[in-house]
Amino acid sequence: MFLLKTKLNRRKFLAYSGGTLAAGAMATKFSTIKAIASEHGKQSKEPGTKTVPSACAICVNKCSLFADVKDGVIHKLNPNHNFFKSRSMLCARGNVGAKVPYAPDRLKKPLIRTGKRGEGKWKEVSWDEAYDYIVENVIKLIDKYDNRSSIAFASTEGLQEEFFRHLTSVVGSTNSVRHPTLCLASNIQGYSSVYGTLPDADIANAKFVVMAGSNRAEAFITPDTIDLAKNRKEQTFVYLDPRATKSAALADKWFPIKPGTDMAVVLAMINVIISEGLYDKEFVDKYTHGFDQLREHVKKNTPEWAEKESEIPADEIRWMARKFAENAPASVWYPGRRSSFTANDVYYRRSCAILNAIVGAWDRKGGLIPKSGISLKSHEFIFPLYDRVKNRIDGGKVNFAADVLPEYIKSNKGMPKDEVAFLSEADGSWVLFRDAILKQKPYPVKGMFIYKQNPVESVPNRAKTLEMLKSMEFICTIDIQMSDTAWYSDVVLPESTYLERWDPAHSLSGVAPVVIFRQPVIEPLFDTKSMKDITVDLTEKFLQKDAFWVDAWEEDKAYMEDYVKTFKGVPMSHIIEHQLSDYPGAYKMLKEKGCFYKTDKIPYGKTLKEGARLKTKTGKIELASVRYPEAGLYALPVYQKPSQPPEGKYRFVVGRHAQFTQANTQNVPYLLEAYGHYENMLWIHPKSALKQGLNDGDYAIVKSSAGEQKVKVHVTEYTRPDTVFYLHGFGRLSKWLTNVYKVGASDAEILEDYAETISGNALLHETFVEIKKA
Amino acid sequence: MSENSRALKLAEDNQKLANKRKKAKEKWGIVLDTSKCIDCKACTVACKMENYVPVGFYNYRIWVAEDTHYAKYPVISRSFQPSQCQQCENPPCVHVCPTHASYKTADGVVMVDSKKCILCKYCMTACPYDARYESHTTEAIDKCTFCYQRREEGKDPACVETCPPKVRVFGDLNDPNSEVSRLLAYNEYTVLKPEKGTKPKLKYIK
Ligand code: SF4
Ligand code: SF4
Ligand code: SF4
Ligand code: SF4
Repeated sequence: MFLLKTKLNRRKFLAYSGGTLAAGAMATKFSTIKAIASEHGKQSKEPGTKTVPSACAICVNKCSLFADVKDGVIHKLNPNHNFFKSRSMLCARGNVGAKVPYAPDRLKKPLIRTGKRGEGKWKEVSWDEAYDYIVENVIKLIDKYDNRSSIAFASTEGLQEEFFRHLTSVVGSTNSVRHPTLCLASNIQGYSSVYGTLPDADIANAKFVVMAGSNRAEAFITPDTIDLAKNRKEQTFVYLDPRATKSAALADKWFPIKPGTDMAVVLAMINVIISEGLYDKEFVDKYTHGFDQLREHVKKNTPEWAEKESEIPADEIRWMARKFAENAPASVWYPGRRSSFTANDVYYRRSCAILNAIVGAWDRKGGLIPKSGISLKSHEFIFPLYDRVKNRIDGGKVNFAADVLPEYIKSNKGMPKDEVAFLSEADGSWVLFRDAILKQKPYPVKGMFIYKQNPVESVPNRAKTLEMLKSMEFICTIDIQMSDTAWYSDVVLPESTYLERWDPAHSLSGVAPVVIFRQPVIEPLFDTKSMKDITVDLTEKFLQKDAFWVDAWEEDKAYMEDYVKTFKGVPMSHIIEHQLSDYPGAYKMLKEKGCFYKTDKIPYGKTLKEGARLKTKTGKIELASVRYPEAGLYALPVYQKPSQPPEGKYRFVVGRHAQFTQANTQNVPYLLEAYGHYENMLWIHPKSALKQGLNDGDYAIVKSSAGEQKVKVHVTEYTRPDTVFYLHGFGRLSKWLTNVYKVGASDAEILEDYAETISGNALLHETFVEIKKA
Repeated sequence: MSENSRALKLAEDNQKLANKRKKAKEKWGIVLDTSKCIDCKACTVACKMENYVPVGFYNYRIWVAEDTHYAKYPVISRSFQPSQCQQCENPPCVHVCPTHASYKTADGVVMVDSKKCILCKYCMTACPYDARYESHTTEAIDKCTFCYQRREEGKDPACVETCPPKVRVFGDLNDPNSEVSRLLAYNEYTVLKPEKGTKPKLKYIK
């Protein structure tokens, strides 16, 4: 154990955090945050102090919190100690939530564009005006193209997203597109093909953990991030990543693996475990399907072979394999979350799932655990069945599907060429979806609603996304801030922030499920509404227009009147009570303790009980898949050598940071400050920097076939010489994101837009870039 | 009320509270296990929220330092060391203060009475840990107060409470049954810069 001499002193700290940039300037620039609410908002004067339970909405974890409110102003958000899923924490982003409603850059009124798209000229309008404008345009589009599916609906997860999905159904479009194919679609597909589900990992109790590319120390997932950090003295943690992230700092061993070769390591571990007889024979016999095929399949995948692929020494792979088996069932090859890495991703995730299965580290303490949930009652709605609807544009046979594949995998027989084999009807495949819109195949899509998502910054190849937006005749975005996508929209509806609104109860599934909800911590400061209210209001407006219903059935309008009645003027608290009505006392517990749960104990072994069946074709753990060959795919995971950057080019990888996981917190001054820099920086190895003639602090142009960006250079030993990186969410196009507008570089701009065609997931690590001094 | 006036009010309230607690028997301290720290900065942001410390690289009561022990690809060894005012039992900052603005409360927390502070900055120079900064909201020197405003309710300080892996444990060093005392009894620990003779009440488990 070492201890630091002292921290960097205040003067040195400045030098450390970026040389000549003036910290003073930053302080003045950001000081506008002060008292913004009292200047512009209808701040409540409610005297005294109150503590209100609710939940954070800054990222997917939805951590329960207690808000301290003083004289009507949020003073502090504190973690909820009853909420075991977060291990009673709030992260830096969660803490800064206290300032979210008061942020000077937030949206305050509905806006209609007056200038050219992206010019930034807006007029503030009333909600009624905004609604009329929207309804008129929707009807115009449906009539013009004789097709309700000519309007697309893009969204990302959140407790109000279901109301956006209702709006999709009210309008009647089949073209919804969601975030999973920019994130974890291949993970869901790969693990589900083996276990029938994407499980969680019991990091709290695991003794041997391997994480490959899952930077849990920086990309927060509860409770995994916290358990991993807590277990540092008891658990062996092996970390594979081309970058020495903060997870590498925690790791017992860090291997800077050659990107795209992780599967070689997994197959070699399986090879060792089988050939040395270290697998769990009883478990394999009883619970799995296809072991003999697997044994044959991995014979060629020796550690020596894997070393050549991955650059991880064969001895280390053997060591990992033996330790993995020795610690089973408390062993985890961590499933991770964002899995949009390289083209063979689904097969790779299959191989990871198989590795855990053969040592019996499934549904037992310390292994992979199928998620459980707490089922809540929901309202069943019947949405209209319209005539003017077409199948989704990226569904079924798509004759240009092969175009989204990287060149090197096009000859792979296990990769579909004319469709996405397992496309999710609700989620679509973002990359293919956008191509279909641009090609107007099989039909034109000319309108778009976007909720909470920011495709301009989240979908690879920003120029293409902008082109797609340009091709639209109508765009409506609903958000709390002027995202880049909102910036290019025609009408922008301001949602109330998560601290100003009710959200329905939601079961957070996981190793131990728990229900959370949201209630207003303060009243809305500005003229904003929840997505629920927006959907209900718009539905009412549609009901007043006969032209909207010409292709509906007689009773459809009545159904929609019922829909409006269910929500209009009905307090969300009643809806939540209804959701929880199967559990006596649950609503009270939710309101008092901020969350509801039946037990915080993990229910091990549910799927191992006599007669239990997994959601696979055989009901067993499918080492060899039964469905895949039926769909023309490989039954067992076949390794595909990834392509490597040609001389003079580098592989660009993306990644997360504890202050910035998605693209919605980069504009927050407190977080920029915690990050320690004003802009993101290109990580480049000293050898490569030398080759490109770059010094630390220089600016460089990073260029791919998709685009180029100018970015500050950070020369570091923390990355492979063939791999470069910069952080997501900088170099923004919206002028209303004042602190990051054109500051730093955008990854969406330079990422080439590849996808794989099994789950339809985007591939964010297949871009090779040139780097020149700026 | 602006953020500035809130900060001023908090400073005043804490002075009053220190007066009220003149007979307090506790000796507050923090025990840290830095092996768990992931440099997530939840603690530093929480401190700013709780104590109205404004944005700005110079303004902070708490920090996370990084130590790179070795960094030559592919061998990287790095770790993180969160810290704040050590709440020294023998505080040089207090000794040098000409106006007695800096003082120690009955329960051992070193505080600054902003009304008495003349911004001579002797204390900033005297502090071996660089734990103090000039606050433009209180127009005085500011530093960690162990979230003194939380003492009456018995709540953990904001940085302690919010930390994901709970690197810090806060408690009464005078109480042999407190968790801090127990941690110190069963673990080897050290303090920062012991050679300065400041007797810090932040103890780092080895
Ligand atoms: S992890 Fe952080 S940002 Fe995400 S919900 Fe929890 S507190 Fe909020
Ligand atoms: S909150 Fe905890 S883990 Fe995060 S930086 Fe602070 S001490 Fe480290
Ligand atoms: S750490 Fe510095 S400011 Fe804190 S008590 Fe010791 S000398 Fe004073
Ligand atoms: S104890 Fe309170 S004042 Fe001190 S560093 Fe922690 S949060 Fe800040």
